[in-house]
Amino acid sequence: MRQLFSLLLLSLLSFVCSASSDYHEQLVLRPLPLSALLASFDFRSNITLSAFETHNFRFFPRSLGQILQYANTRELHLRFSLGRWDAESWGARPWDGAREGGTGVELWAWLEAETDDEADHKWLTLTNALSGLFCASLNFIDGTRTTRPVMSFQPEGDHPNSTENMHLLYGVLPHEVVCTENLTPFLKLLPCKGKVGIATLLDGHKLFDASWQSMAIDVRPICPDDGECVLQIELTIDMVLDIERSKRPRDNPIPRPLPSHELMCDTSKPYHADDTCFPADYSANQDWTLSQVFGRNMKGICPLTDPAVPPVCLQVPHSRRVFVSSGVVEKKNADGTSRCFEISPKADFEMIFPRPEKTDGEEGNAAQAEIALADVVKPETPLLYAERSFTGHGQERGGVQTILRNPSPDTEVEFIYMESLPWFMRIYTHTIEAHVGGESKSNGSLIEEIYYRPALDRARGTQLEMRMRIPPAATVFLTYDFEKSILRYTEYPPDANRGFDVAAAVITILNRGEERKAAYTLRTTSLLCSLPTPDFSMPYNVIIFTSTAIALAFGGMFNILVRRFVAADEGPEAGLGKKLSAKLSKVLERFRKKKTAVEEQK
Amino acid sequence: MVGGKVNSGRMTALLVGAVVLRLAIFYLLPGLSDLLAGRVEISTPVTSFKRLQEGLFLYQHNVSPYDGGVYHQAPLLLPLFSLFPNFKSFPLGTYQLYIVADLLSARALQLIADSGEAGSSALFTSPRREKRWTGLIVAAVFLFNPFTIATCIGRSTSVFTTCAILHAIAKAVSGAPFSAMVALSFAAYLSMYPLLLLPPLLLLCYDRQHPSCAIKSAGKFAITNILVVAGVLAALFQMSYFMTGSWEFLSSTYGIQLTLTDLTPNVGLWWYFFIEMFDSFRSFFLAVFWLHLSCYVGGLSIRIRRQPLAVLTLLLGIFAIFKPYPSISDTSLFLALVPLYRHVFPLMRYTFVEASVILYATFLGPSFYYLWIYAGSGNANFFYAITLVWNLGLSLLVCDLTFAVLRDEWEVERPEMVGKEIRQI
Repeated sequence: MRQLFSLLLLSLLSFVCSASSDYHEQLVLRPLPLSALLASFDFRSNITLSAFETHNFRFFPRSLGQILQYANTRELHLRFSLGRWDAESWGARPWDGAREGGTGVELWAWLEAETDDEADHKWLTLTNALSGLFCASLNFIDGTRTTRPVMSFQPEGDHPNSTENMHLLYGVLPHEVVCTENLTPFLKLLPCKGKVGIATLLDGHKLFDASWQSMAIDVRPICPDDGECVLQIELTIDMVLDIERSKRPRDNPIPRPLPSHELMCDTSKPYHADDTCFPADYSANQDWTLSQVFGRNMKGICPLTDPAVPPVCLQVPHSRRVFVSSGVVEKKNADGTSRCFEISPKADFEMIFPRPEKTDGEEGNAAQAEIALADVVKPETPLLYAERSFTGHGQERGGVQTILRNPSPDTEVEFIYMESLPWFMRIYTHTIEAHVGGESKSNGSLIEEIYYRPALDRARGTQLEMRMRIPPAATVFLTYDFEKSILRYTEYPPDANRGFDVAAAVITILNRGEERKAAYTLRTTSLLCSLPTPDFSMPYNVIIFTSTAIALAFGGMFNILVRRFVAADEGPEAGLGKKLSAKLSKVLERFRKKKTAVEEQK
Repeated sequence: MVGGKVNSGRMTALLVGAVVLRLAIFYLLPGLSDLLAGRVEISTPVTSFKRLQEGLFLYQHNVSPYDGGVYHQAPLLLPLFSLFPNFKSFPLGTYQLYIVADLLSARALQLIADSGEAGSSALFTSPRREKRWTGLIVAAVFLFNPFTIATCIGRSTSVFTTCAILHAIAKAVSGAPFSAMVALSFAAYLSMYPLLLLPPLLLLCYDRQHPSCAIKSAGKFAITNILVVAGVLAALFQMSYFMTGSWEFLSSTYGIQLTLTDLTPNVGLWWYFFIEMFDSFRSFFLAVFWLHLSCYVGGLSIRIRRQPLAVLTLLLGIFAIFKPYPSISDTSLFLALVPLYRHVFPLMRYTFVEASVILYATFLGPSFYYLWIYAGSGNANFFYAITLVWNLGLSLLVCDLTFAVLRDEWEVERPEMVGKEIRQI
């Protein structure tokens, strides 16, 4: 049955792909533990390469298309992200981490160019054009923030003939604050411009208030075995909303303590009483409506979208009841944990996700817990947990420690760990060490391969890629030391004491066995590195003080070398002071004489 | 003969004492050696041992250490240190190398002191020359100087430059111009600035030639020896080129001293000045600073022509103040040569002030640095101010020594002026 279904799906997909220019959009909602809700928006359209080359863009955004053509970009990936994915409670990342970036802006692209210099030039064109298009500071991705990853990224699309001249460039801006000015141009790239369809739910207030959000744009060529190559553009927005926070009324946004009768208490605790309350795990008790969570209703569906793809899907067990507005058809999928909704083109769509009704009496706590588990889809365990932090103190030197944990009890995980660090963090590769938690000795066999391109002051950042292998159920500590350099005072930003953002490390888990495609990608959080600062207020003072010190030394030396020695009572009546006082006394004497003369005349 | 034996016995005891002291610090206080290796007063970007280790690691893993912003030291140090076992697993080899370098420096210093060059050179004999310290004392002052010990424990590679410079002087004093030039070339190869010592060293060599094989013509002598230096340097560069496979090392090793791209704090005057300098004036002031540093060479060589060793001493003092990346190791080299002028100490005017300023800066410097970098209760001006004090103290010492040496010369012409008040016109 399942195979038949997937076969159907495949044939449907191939049909979709072979259609000359198609577009579909889909929103997938997945309640997560701890009152969180993951919303994944996906907008995808294809265009044949021949149509693209003849500027017949149809659903492909013209502005972006022209930039890509001008910069000879074969494949483009752009990410705007904010917040932290809490893997411990939310589990594996959506899209296996393939549609997210580190905090800030990330851009990587395969450009077609003959030489490295030409690729750099085109990269500059691309970043500057995208900067204008997305109202982001992408033009600050200069040589110091650009790297050419060797192992971490593989093209996602099909490049049948031209892989030799393709240059992969990767740039990252961890300091960039993603906000509404980036969302508006993003919505303009959609065929329905955010006026109808699922894109109407995208409200800047809610999107950038999310616990975690990632906007992604992927452009890649896809060549099916039969038929013409198409250029696919996929725009995705993933966000994790805090339901409690979203439900807070707009006119009363200040969080206040709930009245006691609204508190959700865990009644299984022995100390539970009228005046004590242990907060219950909220996940089972989520209740929300679409308009509460997104701040507005969904208005119809985009008329251009492929009717075969349902616009909204919800991933909860079939046992959970969901109310939808009239005219909407609910279709439960065969896997038992998801359902989709078919919406008539003009109608508004509203969904009410009520608290599950308590069956079989409310006193059975164990039963309740079971129901709770059954009422949300259990998060999938990710292949790897990673967290990175600074060690040490002071503004002179420090260390970076990454804790990598393989949760699987029986399979080892092989991955590529990539850091692109700013040049003013001088890392010492001879201090790179990886050891399994519990063992004190460093274990050389964990790191299998290192690719290292050292930083060059003011010209290039550090690029460090490591292929590592972690045994099953092990925690690995990866550490290295670095030194913070002090910059010229004009190189500091206005808020120099805030620190400098260090981009997230990218961890690409490799497929076992077959060709080296990424099975799962994750990123650590970005870090804030504080550098020693000079005193910005006193360039003139420093110039003057240092010059004075040098002048004193030089003057003293010059004096001693050039002047002759004589006894204290020899030579001419020397000294500027003595000469001056002599002159002064002369003048005074004359003045006195005059005075006496005048007095005599009187 | 008996005296000589006693002397050599004492020398051995001194050397053994120095070795034991250093090994004791290495082994009994292992934390101290790492602490000192990380101090900005000891390890500058061009001499730091940690950077050397990084360069070595990259070199051994076939990454060019000069294609990065960390390693700025001479290429031939890499194969030298590759010969020694890995520092992490077997540090004794590296310790031995540094201790031996210190001992060789002390030995050279003893030779210089015992030659009596400081008191009576070829063209000048000081009336006070009898009042001098023996080589043993001079070597002891060097070996037990806290600055020297700290440099050795901190494993700064300037130890090797110091050793080469002292050997160049020792060879020049003992009448071996060729060896002196070779040693100077090594020093210049390691850290560039010793090349400025060439003119006074040529004068010293010229004055102390063996009469048997002397070159009478000064021009011919100078050209021969400059050619020797050029030849040795060319050979060293060629070897470096073959070793690293490119000329990249030139800009990374010597270019950084000329352009000061790495602004890590140190005890000198350059770093803060060029942090705060306006971009459009940066190159101008770099040129001015270098010009200032080199202008002393000509002036001193001409004015104190009769005592080339004094010129070398004073120049080393000036370099310890004004070179781009000075450290206390340069000061220790200067302070090692100052005791040779024991006979002019009574002519110095401000010894108490100088000693107190240097001590003051020595103790306050690290604490101000701590306040700035770690405690956060001070800012960069604290450390900057203390480096100003330190450099003013040192420059006062250099000026005072110059005065004393010149007055000593002058009193040969005017023996009646000994002990009288004088002035300069």
